Amino acid sequence: MKKKKCIAMLLAGGQGSRLGLLTKVMAKPAVPFGGKYRIIDFPLSNCTNSNIDTVGVLTQYRPLELNSYIGSGQTWDLDLSYGGVYVLPPYATADSSEWYKGTANAIFQNFGFIEQFDPEYVLVLSGDHIYKMDYNQMLQEHIDRKADVTIAVRPVPWEVAPSFGIMNVDAENNIVEFEEKPKQPKSNLASMGVYIFTWDIMKKYLTDDNADPNSKNDFGKNIIPNLLRDGKKLYAYAFTSYWKDVGTISSLWEANMDLLKDPPEFDLTDPRWKIYSRTPVMPPHFIADDAVVQNSMITEGCEIDGTVRDSVLFAGVTVEAGAIVEDSVIMPGTRIESGAVIRRSIVSENCVISKNCQVGEAEGDIALVGQSTTLPEGYAVKAGAQVDMDEISRKEGA
Amino acid sequence: MNDVMGIVYTSKDDLTLRELTSQRAVAAIPVAGRYRIIDFTLSSLVNSNIRNVGIIAQKNYHSLMDHLGSGKDWDLHTRNNGLFILPPFLTRENGGEYNGVLDALRANFDYLRRSRQEYVILTNSDYIMNTSFEPMIQQHIKSGADITLMYKKATPEITEFSSSSKNNHCFLNVDVNNVVKDIEINPNAASYDNLYLNVMMIKRTMLIYIVDQVISHGSHDLYADVLRPFINSGALKIMAFEEKGYYRRIETIRGYFNFNMDLLKPGVRNELFGSNPVYTKTRDSVPTIYRGNAKVKNSLIADGCVIDGEVENCVLFRGVNVAKGAKLKNCVIMQDGYIEDDVELENVIFDKAVTIRSHSRLIGQKQYPIVIGKNITL
Repeated sequence: MKKKKCIAMLLAGGQGSRLGLLTKVMAKPAVPFGGKYRIIDFPLSNCTNSNIDTVGVLTQYRPLELNSYIGSGQTWDLDLSYGGVYVLPPYATADSSEWYKGTANAIFQNFGFIEQFDPEYVLVLSGDHIYKMDYNQMLQEHIDRKADVTIAVRPVPWEVAPSFGIMNVDAENNIVEFEEKPKQPKSNLASMGVYIFTWDIMKKYLTDDNADPNSKNDFGKNIIPNLLRDGKKLYAYAFTSYWKDVGTISSLWEANMDLLKDPPEFDLTDPRWKIYSRTPVMPPHFIADDAVVQNSMITEGCEIDGTVRDSVLFAGVTVEAGAIVEDSVIMPGTRIESGAVIRRSIVSENCVISKNCQVGEAEGDIALVGQSTTLPEGYAVKAGAQVDMDEISRKEGA
Repeated sequence: MNDVMGIVYTSKDDLTLRELTSQRAVAAIPVAGRYRIIDFTLSSLVNSNIRNVGIIAQKNYHSLMDHLGSGKDWDLHTRNNGLFILPPFLTRENGGEYNGVLDALRANFDYLRRSRQEYVILTNSDYIMNTSFEPMIQQHIKSGADITLMYKKATPEITEFSSSSKNNHCFLNVDVNNVVKDIEINPNAASYDNLYLNVMMIKRTMLIYIVDQVISHGSHDLYADVLRPFINSGALKIMAFEEKGYYRRIETIRGYFNFNMDLLKPGVRNELFGSNPVYTKTRDSVPTIYRGNAKVKNSLIADGCVIDGEVENCVLFRGVNVAKGAKLKNCVIMQDGYIEDDVELENVIFDKAVTIRSHSRLIGQKQYPIVIGKNITL
């Protein structure tokens, strides 16, 4: 079989607990973003656009939504006879059955998958970020610098640096030190969770790591420090374009709002770097006679009779006459009934916001309504609050 | 899966559709913001569990091929069956052009013989209808009919045909047992109000036999040389099936315009898109962006548009740009139309990728909308 030069392993098993109710029933990479995408569309489209045609997606937490979304991979042109996209859940063997214990362990358990393609390099990705990146360019630098591992880094504002894995580099961008969430950061170069390993190095270090009973089997906590300890050549690849961690309710909301600026902070319209997504089979959206729609993003299947300002609406959202949606993100299939007012909120998929509900407030933290929630008439959700069906039945029971 | 295959006949370019068909088949005309006319026919077939579909293409089939591709958007890229495009070809017997549907079927006998399904649904693709053919299939099999013709009660909106071209407008006389007693072809004043929808069901082997017989006797017309003699002689059992859903034949610019405007009615949208999905080629556009000066009313808008102007009673296709100060009323703007600032448009149809520069004004009549051809800059 022909060798693959580089294959990608996408870590999609994380729960994303900081996203609260949003990830109660689905893994974080499956969370909807930007009107018609899901978070995982970004790394997958980046792979396709970077000519990386073999991607293993490592799933563990709530994989159903993700599995059915990825399907055959046709959406991203990844339905190939040799290569393509593979969903790789944890599995049992004759003598053990293990969940993925950590990021490094997840990849270690799939060495068999990697070896069938006999690659020279392995690209490790996470399903947590919104960005457009040419991995091929990074691979080229990795090869040119004869690095053992190349880690993509991005400068972040100093005040938020303590919440990232920070790389300290020398004048040639060689990584000299890695600090996980340092209190006093020496640099503001955050790891983007995008690594390129020379396969031989990955094989050795992940095998050794697996044999170490004290290891947490994590790239940041174990693998990178071990490589540095042994004096391996770790190179920092600087990335300066838009990159947003959408791991919290407020950052997910902000990243959606970034799309509405003119010009947008993050441009999805570049025909040479399309972001692919599985499109629902729906007609164009309809804006009715008395509707007001401004500074917003609207997609197929929506029916708008009410007022929508500064918001992102996903496929098949209905906004009835007299309803108001402002500064909000409304996910697929949700219905906002007349008289309801939604401000600074994220409303998940397939919800019904009944008449005269008040969700979120003009100021304060972002409110969240969980998946498939039907809010009773006149229900109020305060700024920063989260509500789902369980919460409502509890309240009704009381 | 049904034991039925579909054959879709795409008619030759129709001059009454002016610029819209100068470079494409009627079946390939863009409609309803993101579709082509043929999407409705294909989706109806697929939604009726028909998985072997042959498309009889005519000479100008480039745009159709480009749209259909492998058929994957209709789930017709299967290992057996799937989508077959049947363009005219040149042999000792064929002149490289189809002379009507019978001639096209004759030229594609190999495909018909090789197919395994018991029945064929033979349909045109110049109409908008989203239905399931299952009830007709059931009736056809149960009644033991040789041929079943689909019809609809004619109303003025449906029969608003072109007066200049007589394009196989057929009306049926149907008795209480759904047996077809008479067919009128292109009457000036029809005696019956049952409009034949150019959709018929027949056994595959019988279709092959009839086509062979008729062509070898030098005849070419499905309506005058097959249906009329068989109905009149009673040699075959020809039944009718009444379709009750939305149906519009796209035959004139006015008909095209009216259909697009029809989509602004919730009832029509619901009938066409509410239950059975309509599949089409995906384009991976971003969602539509509304800017601060956007004022949009009663309009159907596809993805990928950027709107900062005023839009009323319009259908905007994918990737249309409406700049600040522009005013659009009763317009159909196809893919990638670019309306610059302070432009005023009323009762206008733009084919794909038309650009209109700042401060221009173009006002048509509702009864006779202005049509601007593809890739033109005004």
